[in-house]
Amino acid sequence: MRRTVVVSMIAALFAGIPLHAQQGGQITGTVTSAEGGRALPGATVSVAGGAQRAVTGPDGRYTLGGVAAGPRSVTAAVIGHTASTLTATVAAGQTTTLDFTLQTSAVGLQGVVAIGYGQQRVRDRTGSVATVTPDQFNTGRVVSPEQLIQGKVAGVQVNDTGEPGGKTTIRIRGGTSVNATNEPLFVVDGQPLQAGGGITEGRNPLNFLNPNDIESVTVLKDASATAIYGSRGANGVILVTTRTGARGAQFTYSTSLSSSRITRQADLLSTDQFRAAVAQFAPSNVAVLGTSNTDWRGLVERNAGGQEHNLAVSGTGQSMNYRLSLGYLDQAGVLRGTDTRRLSASATYGQQLFSNTLRLRANVRGSRINDSFTPGSVLGSALSFDPTQPVMVGEGTYFQWADATGPNNPLADLALVEDRQATFRTLGNVEGSYDVPFLKGLTGTLRMGYDYTQADRKIFSPIAARGSGGGSVTRREPSRLGTVLDAYGRYARSLEGLDSDVDVTAGYSYENAREEYPGYFAQNLQSDVVGPNGPVSALVERTTFDVQAWRLASGFARMNWNVKDRYLLTLSVRRDGSSRFGPSNQWGTFPSAAFAWRLSEEPFMPHLGPLGDLKVRASWGVNGNQDFGNYLWVSSYLSSLGTAQAQFGNTFVSTIRPSAVDPNIKWEETTSYNLGLDWGLWDGRITGTVDYYKKDTDDLIFNVPVAAGTNLSNYVTTNIGSMTNRGLELGLNARVLNGAHGGLSWDASFNASTNRNRLTRINAIGGGSERILSGAISGGVGNNIQVLQPGAPVYSFFVYRHLRDANGKPVYADTNKDGTINEKDLYQDLNGDKEIDERDRIATHSAAPQWVLGHTSQLGYGNLDASFTLRASMGNYAYNNVASNLGYYNLLTGAAPRNLSTSVLENGFKTAQYFSDVYVEDASYLRMDNLTLGYTFNGVRGVDNMRLFGTVQNVFTLTGYSGVDPMGGLNGIDNNVYPRSRTFTAGVSLAF
Amino acid sequence: MRPANRNRGALRRPNRLENGHAMFKKTWRISIAAAAAALFLGAAGCTDVTLEPESTVTGANVFRDPTAYRAFMAKLYAGLAVTGQEGPAGKGDIQGIDEGFSQYVRLVWQMQELPTDEAVIAWGDDGVQQLNTQLWGSSNQFLGSMYSRIFFQVGLANEFLRETTDAKLAERNVSAELRAQIKQYRAEARFLRALSYWHGIDLFGDIPLVDESFPLGITPPQQSTRREIYTFVVSELNAIRADLPAAHAGEYGRADQGASQMLLAKVLLNAPVYVGENHNAEARAAVESVLGAYTLDPSYRHLFLADNHTSPEIMFAVPQDGIHQQSFGGTNFLIHASVGGDMNAASWGIEGGWWGLRVKPEILAVYPGGVNSADVRSTVFFTQGQTVAINDITQFQQGLGAPKYRNVTSLGVPGSNPLYPDTDYPMFRLGDAYLMYAEAVLRGGGGTRAQALAYVNALRQRSYGNATGNITDAQLTLDFILDERARELLWEGHRRTDLIRFNRFTTAGVWAFKGGVKQGKTTEAFRNVYPLPSTELLANPNLKQNPGYTGG
Repeated sequence: MRRTVVVSMIAALFAGIPLHAQQGGQITGTVTSAEGGRALPGATVSVAGGAQRAVTGPDGRYTLGGVAAGPRSVTAAVIGHTASTLTATVAAGQTTTLDFTLQTSAVGLQGVVAIGYGQQRVRDRTGSVATVTPDQFNTGRVVSPEQLIQGKVAGVQVNDTGEPGGKTTIRIRGGTSVNATNEPLFVVDGQPLQAGGGITEGRNPLNFLNPNDIESVTVLKDASATAIYGSRGANGVILVTTRTGARGAQFTYSTSLSSSRITRQADLLSTDQFRAAVAQFAPSNVAVLGTSNTDWRGLVERNAGGQEHNLAVSGTGQSMNYRLSLGYLDQAGVLRGTDTRRLSASATYGQQLFSNTLRLRANVRGSRINDSFTPGSVLGSALSFDPTQPVMVGEGTYFQWADATGPNNPLADLALVEDRQATFRTLGNVEGSYDVPFLKGLTGTLRMGYDYTQADRKIFSPIAARGSGGGSVTRREPSRLGTVLDAYGRYARSLEGLDSDVDVTAGYSYENAREEYPGYFAQNLQSDVVGPNGPVSALVERTTFDVQAWRLASGFARMNWNVKDRYLLTLSVRRDGSSRFGPSNQWGTFPSAAFAWRLSEEPFMPHLGPLGDLKVRASWGVNGNQDFGNYLWVSSYLSSLGTAQAQFGNTFVSTIRPSAVDPNIKWEETTSYNLGLDWGLWDGRITGTVDYYKKDTDDLIFNVPVAAGTNLSNYVTTNIGSMTNRGLELGLNARVLNGAHGGLSWDASFNASTNRNRLTRINAIGGGSERILSGAISGGVGNNIQVLQPGAPVYSFFVYRHLRDANGKPVYADTNKDGTINEKDLYQDLNGDKEIDERDRIATHSAAPQWVLGHTSQLGYGNLDASFTLRASMGNYAYNNVASNLGYYNLLTGAAPRNLSTSVLENGFKTAQYFSDVYVEDASYLRMDNLTLGYTFNGVRGVDNMRLFGTVQNVFTLTGYSGVDPMGGLNGIDNNVYPRSRTFTAGVSLAF
Repeated sequence: MRPANRNRGALRRPNRLENGHAMFKKTWRISIAAAAAALFLGAAGCTDVTLEPESTVTGANVFRDPTAYRAFMAKLYAGLAVTGQEGPAGKGDIQGIDEGFSQYVRLVWQMQELPTDEAVIAWGDDGVQQLNTQLWGSSNQFLGSMYSRIFFQVGLANEFLRETTDAKLAERNVSAELRAQIKQYRAEARFLRALSYWHGIDLFGDIPLVDESFPLGITPPQQSTRREIYTFVVSELNAIRADLPAAHAGEYGRADQGASQMLLAKVLLNAPVYVGENHNAEARAAVESVLGAYTLDPSYRHLFLADNHTSPEIMFAVPQDGIHQQSFGGTNFLIHASVGGDMNAASWGIEGGWWGLRVKPEILAVYPGGVNSADVRSTVFFTQGQTVAINDITQFQQGLGAPKYRNVTSLGVPGSNPLYPDTDYPMFRLGDAYLMYAEAVLRGGGGTRAQALAYVNALRQRSYGNATGNITDAQLTLDFILDERARELLWEGHRRTDLIRFNRFTTAGVWAFKGGVKQGKTTEAFRNVYPLPSTELLANPNLKQNPGYTGG
């Protein structure tokens, strides 16, 4: 069969042979809205399993020609309405009339949304849930699935680095934890993934999932929606539903080519400025300077190409559906040495048996990703390398500083050092749902899934690589196997006496994961000819091995009660047992309750005018967080490696060390409150939501100092703090133009959210407020720029107030005339004790934005479509670590003078001022993330649908931030972040 | 292309089932329902979620292996040399600070040398400049880390003693042979605990006294006085002496009576500072009891080289090894940080210097013949490219270098690894013992001036290669001893304690940048002890801050 398919496909593609060129009939009719009976222009009408499709005109009329005779299933769909499928019997040479009346739906939302362990009608939802479907997904260079919904959902902040497939952070309504994860739980087709998506080695572990296989992404935001995931729902839940065969057999193929280019570089002194600065501030180094004019940054960057191919075949039969897909992605990074290649495949098969009472679905997907990484030091070296030095000093010989404190020649590192990873991951599950015959309305579902990852990281520095300690080899080969079993039943029935519908879901879930971390490190190699792949003889060899395992057993239940379609009540509870806690604290219970009231259905509100829909929602719930290390409750003895031994006489003895633990460690708990309003105007042409929420997290797990002498280390991890998040979210979807006049349609959506985070308490053992430094910066070991301090947002910047002169310029002079320029001259003595020390530093601003705004417009005109996405972040700050670390003249005086940030011209600092508030900058920005233009061809014979599109990503960024990328440092510390690029993508997608 | 048609064929089988016999269908349904119910119930039975670690041994099991006692005791020693269980970094012992910074010797050394006239460091790491100037605050990360490192050692020693009581050993049926070894291990654990308590009261004054009778948990201990801990240390050292091997008879790297008596002498010699009493006679007796077991190394330079473990002079060392004991502290720090400028790193057996440590100008005054005199001890200075004066503390080439430790053997062979030196850190050595004897004599501790002079001149003779540097009895004064200690023990981690004992650390004595001004000034007497760390005051509300310092 496969060969026939391929042959047909090739034939269709290249020969253009009409495969179903036969006499047929015609179908014609109108598409109207159920509300008010108005004509719906721009609706797509298509024949299942056939090539025919048409778009309705301004009067709502359509005509489909060449339809094969016989009974035909025809579907009409348009945004803002629920699609409808009708059957027409077509006779050859005849015209059949088929009119559609479509029910309105929320813009962009289909009739049902995925929720945990089930689905729910949009109109019945009581919690804060948002779904993003493929027509709203971001397009272009998208390697990781979370980029699809960047900027699309209120209260969901997706930040990525500019690195293709690089790590992302997702914050749903702010973070709730300090030590545990702040990332939401990802659930793919009902199967929860490990926090962070998988093993930490390498790039984003979610890259395994080909974005083209995704049917929808649903974000569960409030506790009513997430409590069914209990101990893992505190940071929100993202449900990913993958595609299945939905209609008659169809092939789709899409391909795209992209080119990316760096948009902004760090501002450094030009070669001439650098020479002048050396002459002025380090005259003894003038002799050290070379005669070249080398653009080191330019030499390590490039225009990066990418290509992507996706092929899928899907179809449905009378009682089955299937989909197979194959994807290939090759994306280079704008820094030389960065590359990611992914080969992915998936297969989904669904089967219905016994008159559709037993439904089976099996799903398996696998991917192999080959990543190569730019050696870590390259970007930093390229910034600070002396621009007067040449790249090469003779045939095959790179210029290198004689002195070890000088940076490595970045081009030598690029040429010599290898850093690669291969990651293989497969995920699969089988699911069966059975409508129990003895009790109508009862359905049992059983799902078993696995998730296996194996990675191989190889980092190799040959002996010739400078600073490698005589050559080094690092191998890490982590593997992980997770298994999950879910068994649940759903019972739904109408209680006619009570005029209500009730459905109850209850079940059990069991998850197990085991991870192994073998590692090998060798340094000072005898020979490097076999690279990282052979046995090496080395002076230093270190082998590590670690096993991590965890288990989660849970029972859960949920009841939805809908009275008169007006009063909607949802109650849920989950009880989780986790191996991460000691026997006394293993089990936790996480309840939630939500109530919604559809005011618009009330008989006493008949005349709302254009306001067709109005619903208020209120919810309360408790979630947990357990995503931190394993075994924190049990004291254990850790053996030392061969490199950390004790010397007794002439022998070396390996040691054992007991760990410091709190055996009573327990769950972090987040209690959330949500108040929401959903409304719709003019038949859902404009819909909106408003949500206010508050999340209180208690028993925050901190790694805190304990009184010296009481335990076996100075820090113990225990439950000790509280924080709150509160915020407001607004969402608005509008069909601004419906295409009735001149055929132009315009769908616009806006979202806005604000979140205020505050750490309310750190209960140092014995009481009192605590202040914990974090956020390590480059420049000075152990220097931290952020703080955890009660009363301030978590990870606030922790800085001195730099004294300013009359022009607002930071002071750099010996103002107190003590002979040196030091902190006392430069910083405000906030506590007035005549000393400048940590107590004069204050917590100010943070990387978390105060407002996040998103806007997407989708325009259609005839066969032409266009869309763009704007995203703005306001009130977020960044610490410009490039400016602080390269912003003082004394860097010119070493044996290897370094190039400086242009900030030095303004500030005039001779010594480093890492903790000055000068470097904490407002990093608000407005970015056009995405601009896409597409054209759909209808008349191509043998092809159902062909669309050509072009996308520009990162079209522009408006910001006052002086560094390279206002959101470059995911944690707010901008230290040689991967440069952001502008990407142009052109592609074609075909369905036939 | 008609895949839809083909699918119909594929579906024939289920269709047939569906249209099959009614009884057959019912049986199927019942079987499926029963299977589902069984799976439900079976699955719901799995509620055991306890998982114990697989790559580490739990405290309940570890001593089933009789070698665990020695491995645990080895950790007490390793706690002085390395910073965690991976080496050079990884699985760190203490947290809240960069792991490399948390190394015991490095912390002690910085706190003993940087505030004095002997040393200055160029770097901008948070808090390190406060050590150069004596203007530390209680939140200084190095102070906090030192305090934690001291109590890490104490806590581990206590746990070792708890796990090796007679009752526990009997319960575990430990062999008589092993029990005899454990007796010595316990004495060594108590020595190491005493050593750390000595550092504790010397640096911080009044700190809690926690011994093995204190239960493990999170209850903060009470603050004890310097006197209580002094008394405890003295009594412990006296108590364990018999269980330790004779001086110079223990395994290299482990404590014997040479180490314990040397520690006892140091504590007693400083008794006027700690408890306001003179115990010079006991100090003299303690040092005298062991110094005969050692001989001076004929080569002063050899004491600081990669093969210094062969030196007959070293009484207690913290060993380091390029392969087996890697850390970013100890002599790794001392060698790398003292190399920079015009120095050729390869001559120090390393791949490159860290451009950090130099001397303050005032120390040069104790070298009467200048920095390149006949006294071999003055040849540790490196002058090329360096200025004597320091205008900018952060500039490595201001201030003379004194790169005394080297990762090169006495035969000129580089150590095993240019990244992690083999050079051991000589914590106690005979040269120091000779000067302690002489000082105790001069302070009225008995003994003879003649013997004191002989010991001093033995050092002078080694330094000059002949008798030309010898001094007369009249020249043997306490001031001379202090200067001689500076010359002999430069950068060996004794200077601050010595200056305090001679009352020249704060209110007397002026050197560059002392008090935060370039020309230097005297500081308040309360700076003779460091403040208790602010983090510790929060974690332990029983503690009272040392006088003169503000709280957290």
